[in-house]
Amino acid sequence: MLPDRDNPGNVTRAVSYDVPCPRTSDFPFDTSLVELSPAVDIYSSGANVALNRWPSVECQRVDAGLAVWTVPSWKPGWPKVHTVGLAFPEAIEFLPPEKPKDDEKLETIRPKKKKTDSESEDENAVRRPTRLKPPSDALSLEDRLFYILQPPLETMLAGQELIMPFEPFPHQYEGIGWLFSQENALLADEMGLGKTMQMITAVRLLLRGGQVRRILLVCPKPLIPNWQREFRAWAEELPVVTVEGDTARRNLIWKMPGVPILMTNYEVMVRDMEAMPEEERPKFDLVVLDEAQRIKNRDSKTAVVTRDLKRKRSWCLTGTPIENRPEELVSLFEFMEVVNARATPDLRQLSKLADKYILRRTKDVAMKDMPPRLDRDAYLELSPAQKYAYTVAEKEGVVQLNDMGDQVTVQHVFELVLRLKQITNFDPLTNESSKLDRLVADMEEIAESGGKAILFSQWTKVLDWLAVRLQQFNPLIYHGGVPTKKREPILAEFKDDPSKHIILMSYGTGAVGLNLQFAGYVFLFDRWWNPAVEDQAINRAHRIGQTSTVIVTRFICNDTIEERIDAVLQQKRAIFESVLGDGDVEDASRSLNAAEIFGLFDLKAKHGKGTRKIAPKVVKDASSDAA
Amino acid sequence: MSSGSKERKEQIRLGFMTAVEIGDRNYVGGLLVTDRFGRPLEFQCTTPVKPNRTQELLYGPTLVPFILGDLLGKALLDRVSVKPSLIMTSRVEMLQLRTKVAIPIIYDEASAESGSKPVQSNSSQSVGQKIRFGRQTFRMHEDFTEDQSAVERISQQLSDDANMHEPLERVGEALRETMSTVTARPRVA
Repeated sequence: MLPDRDNPGNVTRAVSYDVPCPRTSDFPFDTSLVELSPAVDIYSSGANVALNRWPSVECQRVDAGLAVWTVPSWKPGWPKVHTVGLAFPEAIEFLPPEKPKDDEKLETIRPKKKKTDSESEDENAVRRPTRLKPPSDALSLEDRLFYILQPPLETMLAGQELIMPFEPFPHQYEGIGWLFSQENALLADEMGLGKTMQMITAVRLLLRGGQVRRILLVCPKPLIPNWQREFRAWAEELPVVTVEGDTARRNLIWKMPGVPILMTNYEVMVRDMEAMPEEERPKFDLVVLDEAQRIKNRDSKTAVVTRDLKRKRSWCLTGTPIENRPEELVSLFEFMEVVNARATPDLRQLSKLADKYILRRTKDVAMKDMPPRLDRDAYLELSPAQKYAYTVAEKEGVVQLNDMGDQVTVQHVFELVLRLKQITNFDPLTNESSKLDRLVADMEEIAESGGKAILFSQWTKVLDWLAVRLQQFNPLIYHGGVPTKKREPILAEFKDDPSKHIILMSYGTGAVGLNLQFAGYVFLFDRWWNPAVEDQAINRAHRIGQTSTVIVTRFICNDTIEERIDAVLQQKRAIFESVLGDGDVEDASRSLNAAEIFGLFDLKAKHGKGTRKIAPKVVKDASSDAA
Repeated sequence: MSSGSKERKEQIRLGFMTAVEIGDRNYVGGLLVTDRFGRPLEFQCTTPVKPNRTQELLYGPTLVPFILGDLLGKALLDRVSVKPSLIMTSRVEMLQLRTKVAIPIIYDEASAESGSKPVQSNSSQSVGQKIRFGRQTFRMHEDFTEDQSAVERISQQLSDDANMHEPLERVGEALRETMSTVTARPRVA
C-alpha cells in the first residue's frame, strides 16, 4: 500500500508498478579507470531513459467501512413442557367446584422492593422417618409413585390421630410399612417382636385409606381371646366380629355386611367354607393367617380350603415358617399365590422368594436394647429309682423292637421314646424325680425374690403331677384341658397375684400367642420335638415389654434319650437358618426322619422312608395335648 | 374457632416443588400437593427440558432459574388441579416463579444443602428473609416480604414440629423413580 501523492489522506492500493532502477550517474564507479581506457562509444539504447522514469502507479478508492451481516434472528423460544400427573382420591374434596377462566391466565405481580434482616437458623435434628417402599412386584409407575409419595409412617399415624398404647419400635414401623405395601406377605419375625401389633396397625391404615374394606383373620382357636385383646389395645375403634356360635349364627356372621374384620379359627373356617356353596362364599380384600404354619402341608384340608378363600391380598404371620423342612414354605407361598399350584421350587428359588415376600427380624438385630435371654441346659443325673426304671424300660423296649423284626415301625419306636421320656420326668412307681428336685430348688430362690416362672411340658399329666408338688409356689395350670373361658382369668391372676410364682403350661396351648413378659424364668421340663416350638414357648416371656433378663432352663437327663434327642434338635435349628438366614443351604434337608428315630436306639430303619412327621401337632385345642 | 377459620384449616394445601438434573443438563420438575398432614393429593412432574448450546450461552447464569422457575415451575402450577396455598421448594432458582404467580413460595435452604445436587447457578437469586414454617426455617423471595403474613397464617394451622423437609425428599425420589422408569422403557418407533 502506498500513499496517494495527489491525495495523501487517501489510502491507495497499487495495482501495477515497475521496479525503479538507479540512474548511471548515481553509481559509485571509479572514473579513473575510464580515463585510462580508450574511448568507448556508448550507444543509446533508450534503456537508460527508461531507467530514469518512475514507475507508473494507478490508485483505486476503497470504502473503509466494514460490512455487517445478520444471521437469522433468535428468540428465546422453548418447547412446551409436558407434565405427567397422579391424582390421589383424597384430592377430590380439595378440587374447586368450578374453575374460573381467569385463573388460567399468567399473572404478573409487580414486586415491591423491600429488604429485611435475616434471622438465626435453628434446625432440629430429627429421627429418620420410616418411608414406605413400593412392593417389588409393583410394575406400573403409578403404583410405585403411590407408595413413594406417601408420607412416612410416623407422620401418617400421627396425622390420622391414631391412639396407640405405646410408641412402636423402629422395626415395628418398618414392618407396618412393609405390610401396608405388600399384597402378598409373610411376616416371620421372631416371636416377641410384635407381629400382632404390626398386622393390626397395617390393617388399620389400609382400612382408613379405603384400600381394604373386608378382612378375615384366621388363627388357632386358643389365640382368639388374645387377638381380641390386642385389637382392643391397638385399634379399639375397629369393630371385630368373631365367627362363633351355632351353624345358623355363623352363617349369619359370614354374610353380615359392613363388618370390616371377621375373626375365626382354622377349624370353623374349614367347616363353614366346605358347607357353603361356592357362589355364596364371602369375598375378602385381605385374608390374614396367624400361625400360618398350620397350612404347611399343602395337601391338608386346611391348606386346600384356605387357598380357595376368595381374596385380593394374602398375608401370613408366623415366627416359624419352617418347622421341619424348607418345603413347608412352599405351601405358604402357594396360599400367597406367589408360586404356581403344585410348584416345587428348589432351595435357591425358595431363598429368592423369601427375600421378596418374607420379612423376618430377630431379636438380636431388632431389639438390641432388649434384655438378653440366658439359656442354661441343666444336665441332671436320674435318681436311683428313675435310673432303674429307665434301664429296664429301655432294655425291654429295644428287645421288643428287635423281636418285631421287619414289622417294627416308626410308631413303635416313637412309643418307646415317649415312655422313656416320661420316666426321665419322674418314676411312676416312687414319684422320684431329679428334675422336680432341681425345679424346687430353683423355684425357692425365684419365689424368694418375688419372681415368676413359666414351666412347659409335653404332657398334661405331668403338669397335674407337678401342680400337687409345687403347692408352696401357688401354681396355676394352663393347658388344653382348661376351658377357653377360664384361660384369660388364669393369665390375669398369674400376672396380678404376687403369690402366684409359677404357671404350668403345655406346649400345645401355652406356646403360641401369649404375652407373659412379666415372667423372668422359663423351665422346659421336657423337650419338644421341634426347636421352633420350644422357642415359641420361651418367647412368651422373652418378648417386647420384658424388662429383665429371661433365664431359660432346659432339663436334660444324662445318658438318656433326652441327650440323643437334644443332638437332633440342634441339627434342626440349622435347617431354619438355611432358608431364612445365612446357614448352610446344602445341609438344609436334615430333619427328624425315620432313620434318625431308629438311630436313637441304634436300630436300622427297616423301611427307609424319608422325612416323616412323628410328633403330635402343636397348635391345637384341648385335644392336642398328649395325655 | 370460627366456622370460617375451620373451613380454611381443612382446605390448606401445601405444595412441594423441586427439580432434579438428570444426565447432562436435563431438568425435570415435580410438584406434590398434600393436605396439612402431608398426605398426597396430587403429583405432577414434567418431561425433561434440556437447553441447547445457544440458550446456555445467551441465558448465562440466568438459565437455570429460567428453566426451573419460568418453565418447569410454571408448567407444573398450571397443570396441577389442586392448587397449593403455599409452595415450598428445595431449589433456590424456583423462587423466581414467585414473580409469575400469586402464591407464596418459600425456599428450604437446609434441603438444598443436604440435597443430592447442589445449586449450580450463581447465588444471586432473590433470597430474602428467613421465616419459620413447621420444624424448618425457610427463606422468602426478597421482593415479596408481604408473603410473611400469609405464610404465618398457614403455619398457625400446622403442628410446630411438622417436618416440611421430608415431602421435598419424596418429590425428589418420585422424580428419580419416574425418570428411571421412563428411561428404562423401550422406545416405540
